Amino acid sequence: MMLPQRLHKLFTPLIQPLLAVLIGLLAGAIAISFVGEPVFETYKAMWEGAFGNFYFLTSTLARATPILLVGLGVALAFRAGVFNLGSEGQMVLGAVSAALAALCIPGPPVVKLLAAIVAGMLAGGLWALLAGWMESRFKVQLLISTLLLNYVAVLFASYLVAGPFQDKTGSAALAQTPMIDQGAWLPKLFPGMSVHMGFVIAIVCAVVLIVILKYTAPGYEVKMLGLNPFFAQYGGVNKVKLLLLSMFFSGALAGLAGSVEVLGSQYRYVDGALTAPGFAWTGMMAALLANSNPLGTVVTAILLAALETGAMGMERNTEVPLEVASVIQAVLILFISAKLTLKLVKFRRKEREVHGTV
Amino acid sequence: MAHRLEMRNMTKRYGEFTANDNICISLDQGEVLAIVGENGAGKTTLMRMLYGLEQPSSGEIILNGKKVSFSGPQEAISRGIGMVHQHFMLFYDFTVAENIVIGHEPKKYGFFRRKAADEAVQKLAEQFKIGVNTAKKAGDCSIGEQQRIEILKVLYQGADIIILDEPTAVLTPFEVDGLLKTIRFLADQGKSIILITHKLREVMKVADRVTVLRNGKVTGSVHTSETNADKLAQLMVGRQLQKLNERDSISGDILLEAKGITIGQKGEKPELDRVSLTVRHGEILGVAGVSGNGQSQLIQAITGLRAVQEGSVRLKGQDLTEENVLARRKAGISHIPEDRYLWGAAKDATVEETALMGSQRNPKYSEKSFIRKASFRTRVKDWISRFEIKTSSLQEKAGNLSGGNLQKLIVARELDFHAPLLIAAEPTRGVDIGAMEYIHEALLEKRNSGDGILLISSELSEILALSDKIAVMYEGRIAGILDRSEATEETLSVLMAGGKQHDATAKTS
Repeated sequence: MMLPQRLHKLFTPLIQPLLAVLIGLLAGAIAISFVGEPVFETYKAMWEGAFGNFYFLTSTLARATPILLVGLGVALAFRAGVFNLGSEGQMVLGAVSAALAALCIPGPPVVKLLAAIVAGMLAGGLWALLAGWMESRFKVQLLISTLLLNYVAVLFASYLVAGPFQDKTGSAALAQTPMIDQGAWLPKLFPGMSVHMGFVIAIVCAVVLIVILKYTAPGYEVKMLGLNPFFAQYGGVNKVKLLLLSMFFSGALAGLAGSVEVLGSQYRYVDGALTAPGFAWTGMMAALLANSNPLGTVVTAILLAALETGAMGMERNTEVPLEVASVIQAVLILFISAKLTLKLVKFRRKEREVHGTV
Repeated sequence: MAHRLEMRNMTKRYGEFTANDNICISLDQGEVLAIVGENGAGKTTLMRMLYGLEQPSSGEIILNGKKVSFSGPQEAISRGIGMVHQHFMLFYDFTVAENIVIGHEPKKYGFFRRKAADEAVQKLAEQFKIGVNTAKKAGDCSIGEQQRIEILKVLYQGADIIILDEPTAVLTPFEVDGLLKTIRFLADQGKSIILITHKLREVMKVADRVTVLRNGKVTGSVHTSETNADKLAQLMVGRQLQKLNERDSISGDILLEAKGITIGQKGEKPELDRVSLTVRHGEILGVAGVSGNGQSQLIQAITGLRAVQEGSVRLKGQDLTEENVLARRKAGISHIPEDRYLWGAAKDATVEETALMGSQRNPKYSEKSFIRKASFRTRVKDWISRFEIKTSSLQEKAGNLSGGNLQKLIVARELDFHAPLLIAAEPTRGVDIGAMEYIHEALLEKRNSGDGILLISSELSEILALSDKIAVMYEGRIAGILDRSEATEETLSVLMAGGKQHDATAKTS
């Protein structure tokens, strides 16, 4: 294949999300001019806040880490044709399990670290698997069960760190676990900068996911299952098994997002520290914006993280409030929901056809 | 007298490609003109230009003696040209009457007058003897009824010239007869009909004149009274079609044995009622029947897509009743599905991905679950050249292939498994004559090599041409099994309509 063609193939999936971001920025510009501030200056401040110097750049990447991991998980589920709206719960359970594993499992720090990561992924994966199992066993719609299980998970985690595993050493009784042994921390990539090893893990996960989806038989089957489940079944794909597997790994990636956030930046599970910044929902947005393309998700995750860190920078240096970032995000969500509605309509139509022929 | 419609020297080019080359047609009042040709011959392009969906590169359209040009369907409709598309455009949640008056609703003070709409539609239906239930929801209507709604919609909009695009492709034989009668009646009422099709039998039955297209050019324009189906086929394909000959029976041991298969909810009438049949090596067992009489369920039961409540499926003596689709495929079943878009492909997948289905875990094409794309591509390229599948590349989306080309791709895929049993469901539905001939030959070749084929088709001519034995399905049961020698169109029709085997043979002997 010729090089331009390759480049073309590589960039086509990026055109749509970038266009959406562009229109989002335009909407933001309108909002900024309402506030009466110069648009260009404001966006410049935003850019500086996200990528202005090495420190800001690494902060953006640090923020992108959990977003990217969650996004990859959502993208995987979406590729298999299911909505996993439960990333938040899966992430939180992963985070609290990782923290507890690092605290409770005896052994050298490396063992603690690995055990924590495995525990986090298992917790997230099993939580997602529960929803998948309910769908295949009792026909409980994933869309609903995953969403509702979020509340269960988040509140259960709150209970754990406000009750049995609360850190009682400090004077203020915050809802958080004790601090993890320093040896079990994920190392920072650069001294003094917030980006940690978790970012590398996330990128590795993205590459692995790309390779699996593109070059392997299970990846092919997942893709076909997502594009047309009837075709996949006809060809001998075990729909239930594959669906459960996809859900498990989707949840495991969300769990990993929570784990690396705990092990690489907070060093303990703090109640609300993962839910307040909305990592899970931003991650979902990243995946949907990128059309569930893992490579695209890397780009959109960093972009969305930059939007958030940039907005903080903007607020520091201009009179424009942080909420402008929300305006831009809202426009992006509009884009995504329009696309999703179309997909859902198509899906329904297909279902209708099936019932028609049988 | 001047013609009602004339299209003169119509040419349409897409870049280098000429879809229509200097095509001339004419149409009089009360006339049925059939435009026939293989897929890709340019029929649809020509009609799209007439309907205002495409602009001609050159040429002129003369309507009632005046030169016209349409920039969109709205203009064509306002000048009395209506089109019934192959894929219906109905709102399923609206009633039949609402669907028909849509866009031209009877109104009073800006409010929709439902009753007036109902009455208008009733009157129209009576006038043209087209039976519909105006109060029913369109989504609850059968395919045949939906088509009648579309025709009424066009009539309601005041069309004098009605274009019907492949109208019989989706219909059962009974519905086809009804439609042909309607077409004839409309013509007798002074409407002019353009019928786009590649089914020559129907053309000979209903059309006054035929224009044959091949590769974007007119290869013949004749009165049906002066021609026959064979001559038309020759004009369409550009060569003599081969006749399928009588052949010796070579059937051997039992290959597939289905016993007492029953599918259905408890307490309800079963969808499939104790169906038993056997397919031997070197035998084609045809399953005839009006679609919707249990054929789909039978296919799904044998391939493992649906669980059976009772009965067993055995292949070469091996019990497959409890096995899943994959295990059955491995045991030696390949399957050309009845609906290529639903079961046979994913529209948004590439040609290569569509071709890969079933081989993704074949050690020949995958290593440690990594797919060996290079060696697989050679295989697909081989199919593409052997079956003359027209696609721009292996990365083209399957949904962008024409129906016939996608079907050829699916047939090639399933044949290349070299499985002892092939289930071929409607293998040539919506496929042009050239491809049909090719697929039929491939099926016969497979049979001659000693494999068994279960052929399910609602085209009687196909069943009769290919089968060694013919089973007829009616309301979820096998109504009778006939030998090739005793089966005729008449005997099968009786069984298909619910008659007994005894009646069928008695009637003809």
